[in-house]
Amino acid sequence: MLWTEKYGPKSFDEVLGNIKIKDAIVEWTEEWLNGNTQKCMLLIGPAGTGKTTLAHLAAKEFSEYIELNASDKRSYDIINNTIGEASASKSLYGDGLKLIIMDEVDGIHGTEDRGGTRAITKIIKEGHHPLIMMANDPYSKRLKSLKPKCNTLILRKVHTNSIVSLLKKICVKEGVEFEEHVIRNLAKRSNGDLRSAINDLEVIARGKDKITSEDLEFLSKKDDIANIFDSVRIVLKSKNPRRIKDAMKLDVEPSFILELIAENIPKEYEKVHELQKAYEMISLADIYLGRAFNTRVYTYWKYTYELMSLGVALSKDETYRKFSRFTNSSIFSMLSKSRSKRDLKDRVAEKMGEQLHSSKKVVKEQFPYMEIMFQNDETAYDLATYYGLSDDEVKLFRSRKIKIKKTKPQKPVPSPKMSDKSLSGFKTKTTKKSASKLQDKKSLEEKKPDSKSDKKVKGDRKKKRSVNKKLFNKLEDKTSDKNEKSDGDKEEDKSQTSLFNF
Amino acid sequence: MAHNMKMVILLNGPWVEKYRPKTLDEVVGQDHTISRLKRYVKEGNMPNLMFTGPAGVGKTTTAIALAKEMLGEYWRQNFLELNASDARGIDTVRNDIKSFCRLKAVGSPFRIIFLDEVDNMTKDAQHALRREMEMYTKTSSFILSCNYSSKIIDPIQSRCAIFRFTPVKGHQIIHRLEYIAEAENLNINISAIESIVYFAEGDMRRAVNILQASASMDEEITEESIHDVVSKAKPKDVKKIVNKALDGDFLSARELLREVMVVQGTSGEDMVTQIYQEVSRMALEDSIRENIYIKLIESIGETDYRIREGSNPRIQLEALLTKFLINTKAD
Repeated sequence: MLWTEKYGPKSFDEVLGNIKIKDAIVEWTEEWLNGNTQKCMLLIGPAGTGKTTLAHLAAKEFSEYIELNASDKRSYDIINNTIGEASASKSLYGDGLKLIIMDEVDGIHGTEDRGGTRAITKIIKEGHHPLIMMANDPYSKRLKSLKPKCNTLILRKVHTNSIVSLLKKICVKEGVEFEEHVIRNLAKRSNGDLRSAINDLEVIARGKDKITSEDLEFLSKKDDIANIFDSVRIVLKSKNPRRIKDAMKLDVEPSFILELIAENIPKEYEKVHELQKAYEMISLADIYLGRAFNTRVYTYWKYTYELMSLGVALSKDETYRKFSRFTNSSIFSMLSKSRSKRDLKDRVAEKMGEQLHSSKKVVKEQFPYMEIMFQNDETAYDLATYYGLSDDEVKLFRSRKIKIKKTKPQKPVPSPKMSDKSLSGFKTKTTKKSASKLQDKKSLEEKKPDSKSDKKVKGDRKKKRSVNKKLFNKLEDKTSDKNEKSDGDKEEDKSQTSLFNF
Repeated sequence: MAHNMKMVILLNGPWVEKYRPKTLDEVVGQDHTISRLKRYVKEGNMPNLMFTGPAGVGKTTTAIALAKEMLGEYWRQNFLELNASDARGIDTVRNDIKSFCRLKAVGSPFRIIFLDEVDNMTKDAQHALRREMEMYTKTSSFILSCNYSSKIIDPIQSRCAIFRFTPVKGHQIIHRLEYIAEAENLNINISAIESIVYFAEGDMRRAVNILQASASMDEEITEESIHDVVSKAKPKDVKKIVNKALDGDFLSARELLREVMVVQGTSGEDMVTQIYQEVSRMALEDSIRENIYIKLIESIGETDYRIREGSNPRIQLEALLTKFLINTKAD
């Protein structure tokens, strides 16, 4: 049995810290059991502060409970089916109260959990059953709509002294000798996370009769990987070089740390010159990232780290005594939201690049002009065909579909003269009705006209319309007259189909 | 005649391709370079070449035209075109070049490898490239092209004859645009063409794109239509970003900047140019004082430089926005 289980509290009395919250839950449970419907509970607090423990202790009081975790796929349906049912139907036995425990509700996200929050809200509305929800991040957007509907309780980190005393108790029970400072160190490094403190203790003490400072070294690796937001907080809140240097011991790409520090500078620093100085440091830090990348001399990274941490930290006149909410950079959500569009751009740029003898970058620089060209139906059609763009790819440049005037299916590569003769023939001999009939017949004959030949025909027709005299000087004047005339027809009645447009 | 007929059924595709010069003689504005290259063609031999110069001045065009004239009928089989930006990294360069160079030229005296945008290759890849260049000297020649020769390692530079391409001169662009206008039967006046030249800044590709975009918009192309196209093609919201920063609202300015760069995909270089233009416009309209203006220009210039040095242009531009803050406070 894991020590966290073995030494976890068996009753509310044994729970460490957060006394008020504990009492609130005890009372909430009793009210339910007395038949008084209560608002649902939302417990928010960092890991290892006892949220799950409290929920499980409460669960003991009820006849049944259901637990859902963030690891479950939380689509609307799953929540509805498992919880909705439990919530709406009364149990045949006992008091019929089924406690519902939802862990990590702030973890419901993305398309995978589409409607997750909605499902919870619905259950809160309908439910006749007690519901306890848990979350880590009090500022999560997912909680915004939930919070007002719940009895929200914020759990604080467990005090170091409480952790120390529990760890000592465990050592005594396990028969492990200990030095005071080792236990204290364990408690401190856990940063109020009781669970991780017990886990750490178990790692170094299980099966031994003594723990020393040497054992702590074994843990130090894990310690290096601190939370990135804690690091950002230290950089912006502290001016202590040692602490700041320690905070940079992260197992994260420097560019990512840089992004997060930059993001939060204006949220902490209030004076303009502080902001400027700090951003100057960020700018320099980025230059060393660039130099490291360009030259492959990654030892330059050390300057990046120094500049973006201590450099930014020392840019403030005084440390601020205020609460700041540090957030993730908006860049990441923008990147993920625009991903499909950027992929599309890349794909199109690659296609075009092959024709234009250019890199994707150079092609993309021309996109704004293409956007303008694509507003014109004819140019859009020609360009789309030239580059072999699909309808979806064309959407990159224009929102409307390209209006393709239907054309008379023809043999793929007709000589211009031939087609012109036949065209003038149609023009004179067919009426609108018979023309469309004829077209129907033709399209039946060629049920699956090769799209390529279709396009070529289109190009053919268009070319004729564009008055490229150089190429047409060999055609009879008569025919070209007719062409122009038919152009005029087209202007008058755009809705008409194919043949008549000639 | 047969050829002509084929032409007729061709689509009216991008003019930058349609009117890309097909021969060395057609290349506009690089007379010095062209005459030297033609000497190579005459001799039937060429050293490794490096073309440097800004965008849209004819580096790629010249390389392709040179390959055609040098290699003759079977130029396609003996010409490899690689883009270092898209295929950067050592492996791509090695694999593609190796497999191409291993085979002897058939139908041509030797083979030509054209490697575009070499300045976007990492230093490692460039060193690898150097070795490849040495290894296949007998069978192949290289043409490298880049915007900045300073970004190319010395050993490569010393192995190439370097040709510097200059921005195409105004009258030469005018000449070319008039040629296209006639071939396309456009209704355009000289002042419109001059205004294209002004915006193109020596970049022929941009000039032709502006022309085609304008032609797709209006039957009659006037100076106004050119202005319209250019302003439509500009990254949006730059004015807003600058004004928000000048008003001291850094967070909004930064968010908008991110939107423009990340979502709309505007490049850092474009952004910094636009910010520069916006600020100089404001100075012209007297909406910022001279001393502030010059301070901003100093910061913008520094940012322009840092963008090329750093790893993330957006971070550099965010830093630039902070420089706009104090200047309003000074007012």
